[in-house]
Amino acid sequence: MLRAADVERLLAGVDSAEVAEERLGVVARVGRAAVADALAALRDAGFESLVDLLGIDTGEHVEVTYHLRSYASGQDLFVKTALPYDGELESVWQVYPSALMPERETAELFGLRLSEHPNPKRLLTTDGVPPLLRKDVPVRTPEEFTR
Amino acid sequence: MSPLAASLLKVAACLGLMLANGVVMIWMLRKVLGHLHLRYGPLEAGPSGIFQTTMDVLKLLTKEDVTPNAADRALFYVAPLAVFVPSLAAYAALPFAPELRAVRLDAGLLYTFAALSLVPIGILMAGWASANKWSLIGGMRAAAQQIAYEVPLLLSVLPIVMLVGSADLGRIVEAQSGVWAGFLPRWFIFDPLLLPTFVVFAVAALIETNQTPFDMSEAESELVAGWATEYSAMKFGLLFLSEFSNQFIISALAVTLFFGGWLLPWVPESVSVALAPVTFLLKTYVGIFMLMWIRGTYPRVRIDTLMQLGWKRLIPISLALVVVMGVVIKALPALARVVG
Amino acid sequence: MSDPRYEIYEAGLIGEGMHTPPVLPAGLRRAPGGVDGLRTEHLVVNMGPQHPSTHGVLRMIVELDGEEVVTAEASIGYLHRGIEKVAEHRRYDALGTLMDRGDYVAGIMGELAAALATEQLLEVEVPPKANWLRSLTSELNRIASHLVWFGTFGLDTGAMGQFLYAMRDREALLDILEAISGQRMMFNYVRPGGVVRDLPPGIDAKIREFVDTFENVYLPEHDALLGGNEIFQSRVKGIGVITREQALAFGLTGPNLRASGVKYDVRVDRPYAAYPELDFEVPVGEAGDAWDRYLVRMEEMRQAARMIRQCIDGMPEGPHMAKVPKLIKPPAGEVYAAVESARGETGVHLVSDGSEHPYRFRYRGPSLFALQALEEILPGHLLADVVMIIGSTDVMMGEIDR
Repeated sequence: MLRAADVERLLAGVDSAEVAEERLGVVARVGRAAVADALAALRDAGFESLVDLLGIDTGEHVEVTYHLRSYASGQDLFVKTALPYDGELESVWQVYPSALMPERETAELFGLRLSEHPNPKRLLTTDGVPPLLRKDVPVRTPEEFTR
Repeated sequence: MSPLAASLLKVAACLGLMLANGVVMIWMLRKVLGHLHLRYGPLEAGPSGIFQTTMDVLKLLTKEDVTPNAADRALFYVAPLAVFVPSLAAYAALPFAPELRAVRLDAGLLYTFAALSLVPIGILMAGWASANKWSLIGGMRAAAQQIAYEVPLLLSVLPIVMLVGSADLGRIVEAQSGVWAGFLPRWFIFDPLLLPTFVVFAVAALIETNQTPFDMSEAESELVAGWATEYSAMKFGLLFLSEFSNQFIISALAVTLFFGGWLLPWVPESVSVALAPVTFLLKTYVGIFMLMWIRGTYPRVRIDTLMQLGWKRLIPISLALVVVMGVVIKALPALARVVG
Repeated sequence: MSDPRYEIYEAGLIGEGMHTPPVLPAGLRRAPGGVDGLRTEHLVVNMGPQHPSTHGVLRMIVELDGEEVVTAEASIGYLHRGIEKVAEHRRYDALGTLMDRGDYVAGIMGELAAALATEQLLEVEVPPKANWLRSLTSELNRIASHLVWFGTFGLDTGAMGQFLYAMRDREALLDILEAISGQRMMFNYVRPGGVVRDLPPGIDAKIREFVDTFENVYLPEHDALLGGNEIFQSRVKGIGVITREQALAFGLTGPNLRASGVKYDVRVDRPYAAYPELDFEVPVGEAGDAWDRYLVRMEEMRQAARMIRQCIDGMPEGPHMAKVPKLIKPPAGEVYAAVESARGETGVHLVSDGSEHPYRFRYRGPSLFALQALEEILPGHLLADVVMIIGSTDVMMGEIDR
């Protein structure tokens, strides 16, 4: 079983990393400037695959979750960071190429700016569509939409 | 009757045959593919859907004829004709019976191949003029394929010409009359020297007529509809018709060259001659059925494999077969004379 | 460059990423392409969204050098329905219906992922019978989904023969699934707490009969029709190689990952439903080419048939639904649940704030990750291989666009 202490040891060189065991599994919270360093350290420690990348609008900020996995030990690890609304999501594709498309998706659906991404275009929606997954974007019926 | 009128009549007869073939073959293709694929094919229009193709032709005639804005209009209009006319012309030399053919040509075999080899030029025109990238790729593929396969196709029939001593299709058929060992028809397919020739011919012919597994220039799953993507209404109908007509011609050629043409073995000659056109058509349709069978089951080879097959295998093999045949029919008898 | 045909390049309509392929991290290399010496032009073609072989509405923007692919870019979103946003306004027991419309060929497994996540939040214990029914329907659905892949993969190679044979078998499976769940594709069968109905009487015999025919007649027939064909083998062997490193770096899961030599199966490594009690093998490939992906999927169908028989034989008695409140209001929390769907790991990341609607519902579809690996794999292949490789990874647009 993966313990918080193990992950803390792996993230020793990273600023402001807090590791906790939650319902979800082991969750490491890092400052947004340290994400790339933290992920690189974890990849070198055996978390070779990024399974998923998602954003959550918590009401105060956009929380971005990186879901990592080590196939050798069969362990999952979640790395979370908080970004301000309309903030900048720095691409981690150099560490995990599988982040390429989920990052584009997260950026467009939460209204973030994507930096250092090789192809920072929209992924799912067309230009002019509001950041759909933000809580302040309401769901409208077709009638409301045309009005 | 004036010669001009006679010629026109012959062209009309060939055209009629071509149209009738088209209608029958399209229906047949649907039925054959249907039954190969656990379904029935057309059922509604007429008994077993035999009027389905007629209805489709009527539909094609009444459809809007779309020309893309960016198309090269002149070429776009000429291309279907450039595909259709050679295909029609190839009917001229086919011997349906001893005296039943449009023209008697000493170089009938060469003429038929010459007519067929004009078809890819029309395909290239269509591909280029459509101003569509898929069409362009399809047209280019057709041209590449043409260069690679015309040579082995012609070389593969050369041993027969050498053996018979004539490129007249009628004389080639006549040379196959009679039986070996009392029961085996003297068709060239049963000649051990010519059997490998038939294999080369069959492969090259499949490629020449753009049949699966070599339907490179159409390649539905890769190129949408290849060179014919932008064609609609009766222009498409013409392209479609000539494609089927080419299948008929190549199948008829195979029958003429290897399966004894109009000849019917084991029956008196008068019966054989009386039934000649029926025999010829039946044999040809068996060949067409084989083509459809292959079409319904085989995957497509890749273009680079196809080109390698042509240049690296078929051309050397067919050249070798020509040499072997030359040795057998010329050098050996000469040697025998010298020794004897 | 004053020729009007070059306007598209000058106006930047094709986008920057097209002409400057992205730099890749160490260990990942792009296949060499291009022409030496001669100056030629590249052809940019739009493959899709209405192309016969892009399986729905995938659009690949492919830059060709002759017939060779120089760059490939996937453009998606044509089927975007905002499932994740819609889910925030649905109750927990309706999440399954949304998952059905994600991966619409393998609906049961998607429903199961949503149900497992909800159950984790609720902390309910699912009765054994429900677990066995979940495994049974999952495996039935897996075969149906793989059959669709098998038929269309053959179509991609230009073979028409096998398609309707695959559809014949799928039809029998859909009939069985319809008898069990009441629906042919949008099952809505797996709900939080169990499954919605017990097996109808007499279905055991039907399933047994199907599995027997499938194992002994149909599957060998499929193998002979397509896999045994020499042309087909020459088309798939050595094509679209995804190495182990690439597979891990691009987050591939399921058959695509296993074909590259990583033995990871959610059913074995994070067991759910009745899988711990079932006896089955996980096929693993070596080379990671299209042929290995073909073999892995064919073997998975065989294993699924084995499991179905075990499920029928070992089906326990008892209730098929746990006691779950009508209005599900799970306590606040965040969970992740995954199942091995036909295409890989289908995961649901669920955040609850204690209300009757999910606060955040994330649908992790395996096809999205397979698709981005394609952008890396395709360069260097021929145009004809592009459709083959897309077909071999079995991407499903419903779950990519969500």
